[in-house]
Amino acid sequence: MTPASLRGWRLVHRWTSLICSANLLILCVTGLILVFHHEIQHLMGEELDSSYTEGQARLPLQSLVDIAQKADPALVPKMLSFDAEDKAVNYIYLGKPEESGFDLGRWVVLNGFTGANQMLKQPEETLVGFLLKLHVDLFTGFAGQMFVGVMGLLFVVSTVSGLVVYGPFMKKLAFGILRFGRGTRIGNIDLHNLFGVATLVWAFVVGLTGAILSFSPLITGYWQKTELAAMTARHPEPMTGSMVSIDRVAAAGLAAFPGKDLAFIAYPGNEYAGSRHFSVIVRGHTELTQRLLSVALVDAETGVVAEAAGTPWYMTVLMLSGPFHFGDYGGLPLQIIWALFTIVTGAVTVTGFVVWLKRPRSRSAADRNASGAKLGSKA
Amino acid sequence: MSGAGMSGVWRIPAALAVLSIFGLAAAILGDGVWDWLCWATLSVPLAVCAVKLWRQWPGRPAV
Repeated sequence: MTPASLRGWRLVHRWTSLICSANLLILCVTGLILVFHHEIQHLMGEELDSSYTEGQARLPLQSLVDIAQKADPALVPKMLSFDAEDKAVNYIYLGKPEESGFDLGRWVVLNGFTGANQMLKQPEETLVGFLLKLHVDLFTGFAGQMFVGVMGLLFVVSTVSGLVVYGPFMKKLAFGILRFGRGTRIGNIDLHNLFGVATLVWAFVVGLTGAILSFSPLITGYWQKTELAAMTARHPEPMTGSMVSIDRVAAAGLAAFPGKDLAFIAYPGNEYAGSRHFSVIVRGHTELTQRLLSVALVDAETGVVAEAAGTPWYMTVLMLSGPFHFGDYGGLPLQIIWALFTIVTGAVTVTGFVVWLKRPRSRSAADRNASGAKLGSKA
Repeated sequence: MSGAGMSGVWRIPAALAVLSIFGLAAAILGDGVWDWLCWATLSVPLAVCAVKLWRQWPGRPAV
């Protein structure tokens, strides 16, 4: 590498890191706690009621929809969503009859076995909800979420550029050397280098998947406006009669993909469905295949599947970003490992910032350092 | 920047990176033994940080 390109990489590393460092610390602190959100919700009594007795039969979907609608007869069902991990938890979105999006109505959570209705609390009212909102969008909605996504991308660039500048810097130093007796700056440089390079792959993966998840409204929106819209446009028939039951629709969708589970069902008129067709979206049930979605359009008047398809690669990437960001796919030991990596990443952020704070102030000092111990322009 | 010198710099980081990638992928591929492989391999980078810190902590006799 030429000295000029190394200088360029150091600038990239310095500025991408500095710009995202404040947000990164917030993400580390909130993320550290959110890794254990199930445990915290349990402790705080904030978890959803998902109790049922072994062997108990599920209630028909139609009766769940009826229960949900009874609470607010002015609204109509638009979307059903099924929890992948907890089969007792069913989410039902009720919206204004003319609404095709998700702005004017509300979500209802029902126990699929008992029909127990539980109002979703506002995020600010629960600890996990509060931390999640701070983590995802800094309490500033869509714009904040996009901001956090951009910060995530900067963090990814910072990890890559950090790796590039690591090599030349460590050429004459042993791996993992920590020179604590040599002053604040050198001690922090060594900690930053060891922690940074040891956890680099984890930080890269969690940063990148976090950025992808931040942009999820854009990604699902793109799928909805292109492939899904083209699919529903091939079946433009309007509603003329009455609808078959939602259970018949679900059964028809499941029959199109043997062995799959329900993930979502969108009612006709919803932006994820046709004018007369339900979208039944299914997934597998292993750690891997529950992230692979397929969709069947089911005629609301006949209960017949009109068309079935998979989802494009970018939807699979988005779905797979979840586990690799949350660390929720390998039990409690993986959650603990995730938390420890988060702490180390926080330490990399802080030590990197200290190295920048303690940078040599004058050019002559920088030159002396650069010619001496090669430390001058590290941060 | 000779090839030999740089490969020394990258030997341990590359090994930790391979272990991390394997560990991250393992638990998504299956349960049981795959979870154990994930926990074991992902712990290595953390353990390396802890051991380096412990051994070189100020005031500890040099080893």
